[in-house]
This record gives sequence, C-alpha cells and structure tokens, in this order.
Amino acid sequence: MRSAEMTAAPAEAKQVSFSFLYPSRSAVVGTLAVLLFLVLWQVAPSMGWVNGRFTSQPTEVFLAAIDIFRNDNFLYHARISLTEFVAGFALAIVVSIPLGVLLGTSKIARYLIDPPLMALYIAPTLVLLPILVIWLGIDMAPKIAVVFLGAVFPIVLNTMAGMSEADPKLLRMARSFGASKFDIFSRVLVPGSLPALLTGIRLAVGRAVLGVVVGELFVSQAGIGYQLNLYGQAMRIDRLLVYALVVSAFGYTLTILVRSVENKVRDWRSK
Amino acid sequence: MIAELFYRRQALILGTLSMIGLVVLWQIAVDGGFINPFFISTPSQVWTEFVAQFEDGQVAANVGATLYCFAWSMGLATVAGILLGMLAGWFPDVEAALEPFIWFKYSAPTVAFYPLFVAWLGYGTPTIIAIAFLFALTPIYANTLSGIKNTDRDLARAARSFGAKPYDIFFRVALPGSVPVMMAGLRLGVGRALTGVVVAELFGANAGLGYAITYYGQLMQTTRMMVSIVIVILLGVILTQILSFLESKTDSWRTDTGR
Amino acid sequence: MAQIEIRDLGIDYRKPKGDEVFSAVDGVALSVEKGEFVTIVGSSGCGKSTLLMAVAGLVALSRGSIRIDGKDVTGPGPDRAVVFQEASLLPWRSVRGNVKFGLEMQRWSGGNLDERAMQMIRLVGLGRFSDYQPHQLSGGMRQRVNIARALAVDPEVLLMDEPFGALDAQTREIMGTELLRIWERDKKTALFVTHDIDEAIFLADKIVVMGRNPGHIKEVITVDLPRPRDEEVLDSEDFHNLRKRLRAHLAEDMSSMQLVQEVA
Repeated sequence: MRSAEMTAAPAEAKQVSFSFLYPSRSAVVGTLAVLLFLVLWQVAPSMGWVNGRFTSQPTEVFLAAIDIFRNDNFLYHARISLTEFVAGFALAIVVSIPLGVLLGTSKIARYLIDPPLMALYIAPTLVLLPILVIWLGIDMAPKIAVVFLGAVFPIVLNTMAGMSEADPKLLRMARSFGASKFDIFSRVLVPGSLPALLTGIRLAVGRAVLGVVVGELFVSQAGIGYQLNLYGQAMRIDRLLVYALVVSAFGYTLTILVRSVENKVRDWRSK
Repeated sequence: MIAELFYRRQALILGTLSMIGLVVLWQIAVDGGFINPFFISTPSQVWTEFVAQFEDGQVAANVGATLYCFAWSMGLATVAGILLGMLAGWFPDVEAALEPFIWFKYSAPTVAFYPLFVAWLGYGTPTIIAIAFLFALTPIYANTLSGIKNTDRDLARAARSFGAKPYDIFFRVALPGSVPVMMAGLRLGVGRALTGVVVAELFGANAGLGYAITYYGQLMQTTRMMVSIVIVILLGVILTQILSFLESKTDSWRTDTGR
Repeated sequence: MAQIEIRDLGIDYRKPKGDEVFSAVDGVALSVEKGEFVTIVGSSGCGKSTLLMAVAGLVALSRGSIRIDGKDVTGPGPDRAVVFQEASLLPWRSVRGNVKFGLEMQRWSGGNLDERAMQMIRLVGLGRFSDYQPHQLSGGMRQRVNIARALAVDPEVLLMDEPFGALDAQTREIMGTELLRIWERDKKTALFVTHDIDEAIFLADKIVVMGRNPGHIKEVITVDLPRPRDEEVLDSEDFHNLRKRLRAHLAEDMSSMQLVQEVA
C-alpha cells in the first residue's frame, strides 16, 4: 500500500536568516514577486484593466481589515469557527491514533481495513454535508463532523503505515535482547511511527480547515465562513478578502507549526 | 492449492471481502433497528433507487456533468501544473517567485474564495472548473517541481561529462527521471479535482452529482442522496486506481531511494 | 566442557517459490572454550552469518544442537548479546538511552541502569557523547554504541556479525584495536564473523574457516600470537603465514563462484 502521501509539499521558503544584512537570493526574488503582485493589484483597477468591484485593491482590503477587527464582531465569529475546528480535530486525534496504532500491527487487519479507509480518504467526505445537516442540524455539529471526517482518515492511514513500515533491523535487534512482543510494540514500533503520524496530522490540518470553511459556507448562522458568504453575496470583495486571508493565515500558521515538529523528528531519519 | 492462491492474492481478497462486509453490516444495522433508515437508507433501497435513476437517465446526466467539469479542470491543472512545475524546477528564480503564492494557496482553502469566484464567474460550470482546477493544481505542481529539482545529480554530471548541454540534460535526464513523481502528483490531483468539482456543485450548479446531493438533501430524500454519494465514492476509487495503474507502469525502473 | 558446543548443526531454508529446500549450513560441529575470541571467516554464502544467528537464537535449527554452558539454545537470552553490522540504534534515543535499551528489555536488576550505561559508554570511549543523538554520530561511533549496548547486559557470549563491515578501511583498523582493548577487560567469549582476512587473524585466538555449498567448516586454525596485540603484529612472519593459508582457502571458493550471472 502506498502511504497516503506521496506529494512533495512546497519547498521550505528559504527563510531570511537572522543576519538581516544578507538575505538569500530566493527570499529577495520571492519578496519582489509579492510586491510586484501587490502593485499590479493596486494599479489595475485604476487603469481600467480590471473591474475594481470584482477585485478590490490592497489599500481597500487593508482599510477593511482595520474596520473589521474593530467593529465587526470579528472575535465572535473567529471563536465559533475555532471551536468547531478544535472540537472536530481533537475528536479525530483521539479516535484515529489508537485505531491506527492497533490496526497497524496486524497484517490481516491492515489488508481488511485499508481498502475501505483508502476509499473514504480519497472520497470527498464533504459531500456528506447535506446528510450531516439532516442528522445533526444546522448548528456547530455538522461542521465538527466534517472536520472530524476530514482529519481522521489521513491520520489513521499514515499511522498504520508508520507502524507497518518499521525498520526490520531495529526489530531484529530488539528481539536479540529478548524483548517481549509488548516491549517491541511499545518501545520500538510506536515511537518509530511518530514521523508518519506527524505527516498524517499535517495532511489532516489542511482538510480540517477546508471542512470548517465549506461547512460554514454551506450552512451556518455565524462564523468565518458565514461572513465569507455574507460579503460575497453583498459583493463586498474587500471584506471578503480580509476573512479569506484570516483563514489562510490560520492554516499557514498551523502548517508551519506541524512542519517544525516534523523537522525535528525527521532528523532521526538522516542516517 | 487454494491456500496458495489465497496467499498470493491476499490483499485483493481481503479488500473485496471487507467491502462486501461493510455493505452487509450496513444492511443489518438498519434492518436491526440500530440506525434509523431515514438517516442513511439501506443498501437494497439504494440499489433499487440507483436502477431507477439509471433507467431514467439521471445517473448518466449527473455523472456526465460532473465528469465534464472534472475533465476540464484536471486537464487545465495538468497542463498548468506540469508547465509551471518544470519551469520552477529548472529555474530557481521562477521557483522563488512563485513560492509565496503557492504557499498561500497551500494554506488557504481554495473554497474560502468560492464567493469570490461566484462574484467573478457566476454560478455554474466556469466557477466549478475554476475551483477544481485550483484544487488539483497544488499536488501536480509540487510533484513536478520536486521531480525536476531532485534530478539525480550523478546522472546529470555523467551526462555533462559526455558534453550534454542544459537543454539535453533537461529533456534526456531531468524530465524522464521525474516521470514517476509526476505521475504520483497526477494521482493525487485526480482525487482533489473530483473533490473540487463535487464540492463546488454542492453550492451552485444545476447538474452533476454534487447538485443531485444538495437537491435531494433539501427535500430530505436520503435514499436518492445516497445513490449520488455512493457514485462519487466509486468514481474516486476508480479514477485513482486508473492513475495508480498508470503510475506503476512508469515505475518499473525506479529503486526506492527516490522516495 | 566447552562453553559453546555445536553438534552436527544443519539449517535449511525453503525457497520462496516452490518446495526446494536449500541448506545454508550442514554438518557443522564446533567447540568454543570460555574466554576464547573466535573469528569466523569465509566467502559470501558460506553460512557464517547464519551460524552466528543460530547461536544467537534468532534462527531455528533443522538438525543438530547448540549448547551454551550445557543448556540448549532455543531463542534469544540474557547469556548472549549480538552486535549487528548495522548499528540499529533507536533514532529517537540518545546514546545513553540506546545503551540502556538492552538493560530495559532484560529487566536488568544489577543496579542503576544509568550508571551501568555510563560505565559502558566510557569504556568504549564515548564519555563525552552520552547525550548525542545517533544522527549526530559517525559510523564508527555508532558501532561503539552498539558494542556498549551489547556489553551492558553482561552476556556470557558476545556475538558480532561483521560489525565493522560498513566502515571505511581506516576506521575499521582503529575499531579492531579498540575492540581488543575493550575485550581485554573482561575477556568474554566472543564469536566474530568477518570476510576480512587480516581482521580475522588479528582479533582471534581461533579462526574458523567456512566454505560454501552447503555451508560447512573447512578448517579450524589456532592463532598463537601473543596478547595484547598491536599493529606491529601485522608484519610478523606468523601473521604472513596465516594470511597465506586463509587466502588459499578463499581462492578455492572464488574459483567455484560465478561472478557474473549469465543471462539465460
């Protein structure tokens, strides 16, 4: 079974090192590209190249941001979306890690469980939204459910893969010291599957954020997605972009966090 | 003899068994009163409904509409992703320039911008294709980039020692060498394109599987919904399997050091 | 009675496809006295590693018996410890944590685990590196940790399967001398598998020369060179003679080996 991930994620942005005097070439090029984009974006509507109603401008977005953070009940909506995200994700972790660990140890279990899990992982669980709304109502519950569904499969699948792809040399070494099956499980297999687990969590984060947003776009009475929908329909693109940027900042921060843990752990692998 | 057959095809047999088992479990759970059929219907009812929808052409129409958008978005994503990936993989400046935008796209759920797309392109097919295109673009671009960037340096050096020019190295070493990783990217892209299409259809469409799901959802007709949901899942599995198969065809020479 | 008694040992493998049975080792008999350092040498495919794994209890016997201090070997045990060619260090544990691993697995009750581990770490010369992670260590250093871990559990018999095989030639030489220095302290019974002739002679009290098809013992050679040994012994006449004898044995095997697989 291919582990559920074989994508190369975007390369780490070569960070400007702490000696600010010598930024790397790629950092410079990247910054210039962004600046160019911002300039074009600002200038295009004024020059009549695009319709400003549809694209807004950086300055407008900036002003809208200030306004929103001050007046728009931003924290209220943010808190709702965050709650849905955290509840769904926490539930997913609690369920998927033990499941992944246990299932990963038995070859038969893996062969049995892998195909349906893979199918569900590939399948857009978001399509269950209408059914979930019927079951769970229109409040936070269906959103928590889609977050859960989005996060649970990558974590289980990757944890299972991590457990089963243990280095056979390590297992042989442990056996040579007379380690019991339980010892091998708890002291070699489980710690060894940590990198894969983290990969699963990183994948889950993206899908979980997607879940909150889509869920709220679909049906909600409050939350970031609710605001997105509101401003979209009102053609207030500047405000819509503010909220969209908030979401991407959130997703970005989380991904960076998981990445840094993953990096620390990846050191193990460099032999 | 049977034991040997079982051993070799262990994965396939157990996999099929578990799928069948799930369906049986589903039927029992509802018949036994554990789950209210209103919420999830039963396999037998879904099957009957499927046949009905098949005969009156609904299935064909919905699948057709979804696949139409899928094909367009996947096609565009493949072209754009591979082209940009190759450029970025070969020219570090291109990669550096694109990187902030890719990172942004990677962390921001495209769907957050759905209302924006609707504002630009209106409800319907163009928006759906646009969203699914962006969904599928990321893995295709990322994998192509990685494939070209991580060309085996020893191979490139050997080629250069034979007098190969950069142009040669790109087309004769880098490109063929990155095919397996690219195929993996396409496989991932397929799943995401399908997701993008169906999710976009949930919101604003007048045809397609996602549309059918929302439509029947609003009418609380679970059985009819389930037909489309099951079709979506099957489509995802089938399309991914096809890509997996193609992927393995290009994989024969690769040792595991590439991963 | 010898500490290790191997009688009429045979180990068969079944080929993955079909019912063909192939003998890795057949008719092997060997006695090893307590405190002897025995090297096992031979060309690839002669079963030397299989023999070692059998003594370690990690491979099942098809025929014959292996007895250590009178008891049959049926599986791994606290009386033996293995030093594999790959250091097999747990990547998430520090040097100290890795050396403690064997002690933990065997529920060591002979005192404080940390102290015992540090003792061993200092013995192999890595005192300063006890908190380092494996990925921060060189190949030679990792093997030292490997050795420390094996010694920590105080086995009766030390089993080493080409422990320096993956190291470069210079490191290998240094490690050989180091190993003898460490070994001199307790003079544990040791079985050391290698394909390097010089290494086999330098380290050994007794050399077991094995041949292939099926794996068997061709000759057991006693090494009378005085201990402790240093690099000078490599130039002695006795050493040269031993080397000639071993090379003759290996040359025999080389000629019967197909170095190129013919395409059907």
